[in-house]
Amino acid sequence: MRLLGLLGTLALASIVQAQRTDSIEFFETKVRPVLAKNCFSCHTQAKLGGLEMISRDALLKGGKSGPAINIERPEESLLLKAVRQTDDKLKMPPGGKLPYAEIESILAWIRRGAVWPAASKAQEGYHITAEQRAWWAFQPVRKTEPPEVGDRAWAQTPVDRFLLAAMEKRGLKPVAQASRHDWIRRVTYDLTGLPPKPEDVDAFLRDRSKEYKARVVERLLASPQYGERWGRFWLDVARYSDDQLNSTQDEPYDNAFRYRDWVIQAFNDDMPYDVFVKAQIAGDRLPGREKMIAGLGFYALSPQFQDDRVDVTGKAFLGLTVACATCHDHKFDPIPTKDYYAMLGVFTNTTLGEYPLAGEDVVRNYKAKKAAVDEEQQKLDKFLDEQAKELSEILAYRTADYIRAARGVINEKTGLKEAAAAAKLDAGTLERWRDYLSMPSHEHSFLKDWKDGGKFDDKAFQKTLLDVLAEWKDVENKNYIRLGGSNARNDLAGADLLSLPREKWLLWRDIFSAQRFGKFDTGILYYKGAAIDRFLAGEWKWRLDNLRAELERRKKEAPERYPYYHIVEDKPQIRNERIHIRGSADNLGEEAPRAFLSILCDGPPKAFTQGSGRLELAEAIANPKNPLTARVMANRVWYELFGAGIVRTLSNFGQLGEKPSHPELLDFLAARLVEHGWSLKALIRELTLTSAYGLSYGSDPKNFTEDPDNRLLWRANRRRLDIEALRDSLLAASGELDGKLGGPPVSLTSEGNKRRTVYGFVSRRKLDGTLSLFDFPNPNSTSELRTPTATPLQQLYFLNSKFLMDRAAALSALLSRQPGNAERIKQAYRLLFYREPGKAELEAGLAFLQSNDKSWPLYAQVLLSSNEFVYY
Amino acid sequence: MNSSTTNRGFSRRQALSALGGGFGLLGLSGVLAGSTAGPRGPHFPPKAKHVIYLFLNGGPSHVDTFDPKPMLTKYHGKPAPSGNLKTERKTGTLLASPFPFRKCGQSGIEISEIFTELGKHIDDICVIRSMHTERPNHEPSLLMLNSGHVLPGHPSMGAWLNYGLGTENQNLPGFVVLCPGLPVIGPQLWTSAYLPATYQGTHIPNNETEPEKLIQYLRNKQISLPEQRRQLDLLEKLNRIHLRQEGDDPQLESRIESMETAYRMQTEAFEAFDINKEPKAVRDLYGDGPFARGCLLARRLVERGVRMVQIYYGNGQPWDNHDDILIHKKLALTSDQPMAALLGDLKRTGLLKETLVIIGGEFGRTPAVEVSGLVKFQNGRDHNNHGFSVLLAGGGIKGGMTYGNTDEFGFQAVEKPVHPHDIHATALHCLGIDHTRLTYRYSGRDFRLTDVFGNVIHDVLA
Repeated sequence: MRLLGLLGTLALASIVQAQRTDSIEFFETKVRPVLAKNCFSCHTQAKLGGLEMISRDALLKGGKSGPAINIERPEESLLLKAVRQTDDKLKMPPGGKLPYAEIESILAWIRRGAVWPAASKAQEGYHITAEQRAWWAFQPVRKTEPPEVGDRAWAQTPVDRFLLAAMEKRGLKPVAQASRHDWIRRVTYDLTGLPPKPEDVDAFLRDRSKEYKARVVERLLASPQYGERWGRFWLDVARYSDDQLNSTQDEPYDNAFRYRDWVIQAFNDDMPYDVFVKAQIAGDRLPGREKMIAGLGFYALSPQFQDDRVDVTGKAFLGLTVACATCHDHKFDPIPTKDYYAMLGVFTNTTLGEYPLAGEDVVRNYKAKKAAVDEEQQKLDKFLDEQAKELSEILAYRTADYIRAARGVINEKTGLKEAAAAAKLDAGTLERWRDYLSMPSHEHSFLKDWKDGGKFDDKAFQKTLLDVLAEWKDVENKNYIRLGGSNARNDLAGADLLSLPREKWLLWRDIFSAQRFGKFDTGILYYKGAAIDRFLAGEWKWRLDNLRAELERRKKEAPERYPYYHIVEDKPQIRNERIHIRGSADNLGEEAPRAFLSILCDGPPKAFTQGSGRLELAEAIANPKNPLTARVMANRVWYELFGAGIVRTLSNFGQLGEKPSHPELLDFLAARLVEHGWSLKALIRELTLTSAYGLSYGSDPKNFTEDPDNRLLWRANRRRLDIEALRDSLLAASGELDGKLGGPPVSLTSEGNKRRTVYGFVSRRKLDGTLSLFDFPNPNSTSELRTPTATPLQQLYFLNSKFLMDRAAALSALLSRQPGNAERIKQAYRLLFYREPGKAELEAGLAFLQSNDKSWPLYAQVLLSSNEFVYY
Repeated sequence: MNSSTTNRGFSRRQALSALGGGFGLLGLSGVLAGSTAGPRGPHFPPKAKHVIYLFLNGGPSHVDTFDPKPMLTKYHGKPAPSGNLKTERKTGTLLASPFPFRKCGQSGIEISEIFTELGKHIDDICVIRSMHTERPNHEPSLLMLNSGHVLPGHPSMGAWLNYGLGTENQNLPGFVVLCPGLPVIGPQLWTSAYLPATYQGTHIPNNETEPEKLIQYLRNKQISLPEQRRQLDLLEKLNRIHLRQEGDDPQLESRIESMETAYRMQTEAFEAFDINKEPKAVRDLYGDGPFARGCLLARRLVERGVRMVQIYYGNGQPWDNHDDILIHKKLALTSDQPMAALLGDLKRTGLLKETLVIIGGEFGRTPAVEVSGLVKFQNGRDHNNHGFSVLLAGGGIKGGMTYGNTDEFGFQAVEKPVHPHDIHATALHCLGIDHTRLTYRYSGRDFRLTDVFGNVIHDVLA
């Protein structure tokens, strides 16, 4: 008996448990979505009516009208009454009645005890599995000894030993080394984005010292062009642009370029990469803040359309697609939704700001003067609008006279001036009436008898017009009261407004409106701006002149806007984000304290405490212990130099990214990066002086069969010049390149623009045609690499663009100093290709040029379009 | 149809064997690294080869065009019994359509009088009346209809189609976008995003009438064609010498081919964009104005193998008639005839069978009047993402039918709701593509036009 009783209790317990699980399921599928869609926008954070629908307890507590649910008598729950809309005073939701089935679900849910789990199932009990933790990219960076190799002579550097060992394992042999001339061209493009100067090539070819390569590398790394090249690489990642993606018009950011210049300078200064990262996340909190704060442009210039700040943080610095966890736990990587909102909280607690590059007094003075101008402008506008309205009404009282005169002008071809003088009318106004009445059709019907001269009653029309004006004023006044004395756009949404009937409104618009319609700038009796001057006299005129003079005076006094950096700042009040269940802002789950990603923390993530937490985030990312930061950057550097990453998905080191072709090598490089104080120049130096970097493009059938993708790097990857290098090379070849550093962006379509392409205007709204033609990334989101193409549309650029033809003309002018075609051709080959032309090349050139003198620019254009020029 | 993000080291033999074709069939440049414009082929036999997408930007009102609602006339000026759905702005009482609807064609589908000419082709058209999308705002909805995502940065349908199928005519861009000026958001709507740039839409400002102003760098006014031919012969010679020295490199070879294509393109594209080559009778059929010229150009381009042509009705958002729905009539004056002419012309030339025509905007408009103007008259409608219409016609589509329905007032799609993802899935299906298999691996993830959604609407397929 007792045993039976115990079993009974157990059974009951498990039934209760099962019921609870069912109830949760029921709530999550049938009730929470309904509440989220219809109630949460007003009854969670906003707590309208004091009701906060965030938990069972909160509903039991209820709002101003009392508890929202009644578990004992579910039918009597206020919530139910509200959605059933049986009570006159309490009808919810305001947009309309819920479908019957949804109301019944709410009732059924209350009957079952209104079970409301603290968090949705997605967030419950997330834990990172051992398998997820074991993913290669989350392991600490381990610097291993470079392996032993057979060919010690080839593999003199540690990097080469890693590479060669992998090749030898598969029975591959690297191809021969590139010629000196290929090598210097390659390294000069890679480090500066420019072709080498012929004299540099000559010096290099003559250099018999052991350090002949190192000398070139040092020279290039020390040149400011290095930063222009490598800064641009980072700007792809940073989705840098000089404007915002505005829906309908251009919206340039005049100071954005200061971030671009800061990036370039940081590369040239070899700013340690960890500092570079920290400056972009929390430059305002770093020592030496003046030099760091411009880095905040990384976030301050974010696309406004979408909040991509978590996305770009994850991909750019960590190679993780954190934003995949916006709506659900990451399906592949160990990133729970909570981690996404924990990081998002860091950014939502910041605001956009400016960091003036001028003294406080300058800023204060500018703002005061600007305000003074705005104030005076408003006064003037108001005065003009008042006078124009008043005048339009005065003129409307003479409508019948104007119409009569206009009829004469139109029908009997009376001169306009004479007709106006005869009837003592304003000639300009008569002209407007004439034009208006002569329109083939009007959108309202008040003038439908006009063409039928006999029937049209001028006086009656005048009365209609004045009545419509009176009615318009009445509606305007009433609406103004309904809007509570303000016509700000936000107040419009909720107001219940009156309006004129359509016909009357159109008549009012045609005659009195200040807005453009059809071919008229304004309603025909509304005199805008200076057009009104001739009607004003005496004190009115004096006042107008006075207003204008004052405005001019203030404008003259107002200084130009001071320069500033776009920055982000912490908000004064810090508030954690809450999880958006399934990504819906209407469906909030538990709070996600601001913190770093769980997978990258020792133990549970520690909540950030300093302001938004940006500095703590920056320190967690730019940390030698972070297994990703150094690896991701070392891999980016590798990609820029070798044309393919060790991990080819440069911004995704997660499960869906590609695994490294040489994991130990990547770790070795990451470790080296940290060891050398995060110096990118040191890493680049080390890589460019390897045998692998010096390989030729040669082919090898055996290698090819074994490794067609060249993952083992048995030869060099040939690359097409990207648009920056291409355009810069064209300018350099013709001796026209303007080497000026930094400063405001210049449109690439402006003809005189001979500056490096990195200084061209980059637009999120309308990317420059040439940039987008040549695979420049879309600056609305972070880009990991460019996919080079060779399309016919691109070739049209070589055939027909003015830019190319101008360069060809300049190049041929440059060559014309040489005597004779043969010498000129030779000089051209020296300038462009650092070699003598072959016999066939020379002959082909001579034959081409023989036909006539005008052929030189055409010939130069061919050389500038050749594969030898475009690939490296 | 996955593509690796790197093209290097792809051998000619590999490329060809991967495609199971030979030189003569495909043309080297089409398949090799760097130039990826050649046809790749569909997943199954396609019904259509091309898409013409007539985009009435701004949000045309379904209840005034393709979705008659007699209840609006009955309840005109009264509050909607079921309440208004939330849209962008405040709406008031129900507003009857000022335009009568008439039964058209054999099928007797009712179309508003403002689209009388288009109505004559109704038996070739499937009217989808149960469209819905996420947001009542232009930008996300434009992006959704074009790229299957509400945020910028994803490839547009035309880019996907060219990536999946290639173009049939190397001498023309595979995805042409005609718009006098720019629609809201602009080039983001035809971006190739992470797909190779070769697939991006080529925007042609069709308010221009001279062909050379239409395509970037299409013509050379200084160098004559024979002179240019001489240049190209020399260039090829030099490039061949270089290629020989460098050893076989498909990248270099592909650019040599590409250069020749570009040369031919100058003549062919110029010719294609010159609508004066059409007989006057045909031009008159379409009428005048940028949209009419666009429609005629679309036919000429599709005829020449362009994969997708998209025509935006106008600069900005002309169909966005918040204040006065009667403006729809004016807009129809310059769109009804051209659209009808295009369908008729395509049918006449037999192209309609292989061309999928899509007509529609980014969302519909509310059956209730918008009341958010200060002292404007209230005769307009707000954005409505809950219900609107899209028209499909041509290759693979069953004509003379309606599909799905909005509620009795036209607020919301209630019967067989169709999402833009479903339109994309269906369009791709007509072109022989399984939308779940047209993927592109970028940054470690396979992306699709339809994201993780979309169902082919089999009921509308012929």
